[in-house]
Amino acid sequence: MSSTYDRLVGLLAKSFGIEPDEVAPEDTFESLELDSLALVELTLVAQEEFGISLTDDDLHAKSSLTEAAGVLDAKQVTV
Amino acid sequence: MSAGAAVLCGLGTWLPPNAVTNDDLARELDTSDEWIRSRTGIGTRYVADPSTATSDLAVEAGRRALKSAGTESVDAVVLATTTPDRLCPATAPLVAAQLGLGTVAAFDVGAVCTGFLYALAAGAGLIAAGTSDSVLVIGADMYSGILDPADRSTRAIFGDGAGAVVLRSGDAGEPGALGRPVLGSDGTGSDLISVRSGGSREPLRAHTADEADPYFRMAGKAVFRNAVERMAEVSLTAAQRAGWEIGDIDRLIAHQANLRILHATADRMRLPRHRCPVHLDRVGNTAAASIPLALSHAVTTGELLPGHRTVLTAFGGGLTWGACTLRWPALTPA
Repeated sequence: MSSTYDRLVGLLAKSFGIEPDEVAPEDTFESLELDSLALVELTLVAQEEFGISLTDDDLHAKSSLTEAAGVLDAKQVTV
Repeated sequence: MSAGAAVLCGLGTWLPPNAVTNDDLARELDTSDEWIRSRTGIGTRYVADPSTATSDLAVEAGRRALKSAGTESVDAVVLATTTPDRLCPATAPLVAAQLGLGTVAAFDVGAVCTGFLYALAAGAGLIAAGTSDSVLVIGADMYSGILDPADRSTRAIFGDGAGAVVLRSGDAGEPGALGRPVLGSDGTGSDLISVRSGGSREPLRAHTADEADPYFRMAGKAVFRNAVERMAEVSLTAAQRAGWEIGDIDRLIAHQANLRILHATADRMRLPRHRCPVHLDRVGNTAAASIPLALSHAVTTGELLPGHRTVLTAFGGGLTWGACTLRWPALTPA
């Protein structure tokens, strides 16, 4: 798995107490029981962790962790 | 230091007697105690009866603040509210009259949930300008009058209440002296928290009544994010102006909007959560009243002690935000 994925899993552990060995790449935020406010909380901490700018719509309840890591990766690409 | 600093020397609060629990709301709306607590941290809020107006709450809190300060007179009354008794005139002159303060300067400040901090800055400004030697600053709101009875989100969040402080002219070095307030606004977000109808943009007229929306509306997710980012940033700026590092902040008294906003704000500032006292579980979001109510509660529980380096911060509709520092003075809330 990409380091972005691992860092995302790390954020879920730190901010929401979700154990890394309890999540799989195909899990969605919804299946991990993150509500809409939790996605905003995750957006805020992910911005800091990755030094990127995220809108409220970048992370979706139905996104898998792999897809979310892809969004975070794309935001880190310098063009 | 120079005289002309505003020194906080009295604190009073008032809640209407009728407590509404989450279970009470669940009997009326599609919600539950678990749903409300997990999303907001709120357990109870107080709702004034229909014969009560915002001025009634403000007078009760103001009277107690004067008593706490050991005085019967001030030179000015500044009332922060978004729920005035009437659209016109301002409510503050009536409050001043009912408090027996005579013909002192009195005006309202509208900055929604940041109202108390804007009013505090206005009061400090009156003192710094030499206009007043003492100012009664009140935050009072009765959101029960503007909430949509069918809206389970806002009904769960907001409660009625009032809180007030007395400012007097003093020395910048003494306990209770306010630091330089930091205020901000972003009108591009004015739709995020609003009552659409009833103002000049969309007056309430008989023939438009069907399309009118006279109720308070809030875009929860966007507000949540803005609140966390703005309160964390403005609190740090205010602390810097006072020459404080993060570790110097003993207490952050933040607008009591939502427990998760309080936690996220503290986390973002790298401030231990226990330095950010919580009161909203007992009273909900009381808008302009929340900071003085939270101050009084924190003093009563012993969480806020004389000498504590304290940052007050709020975020609200407008959008607006602000922060102010002080070393907490020795006083007894009333």
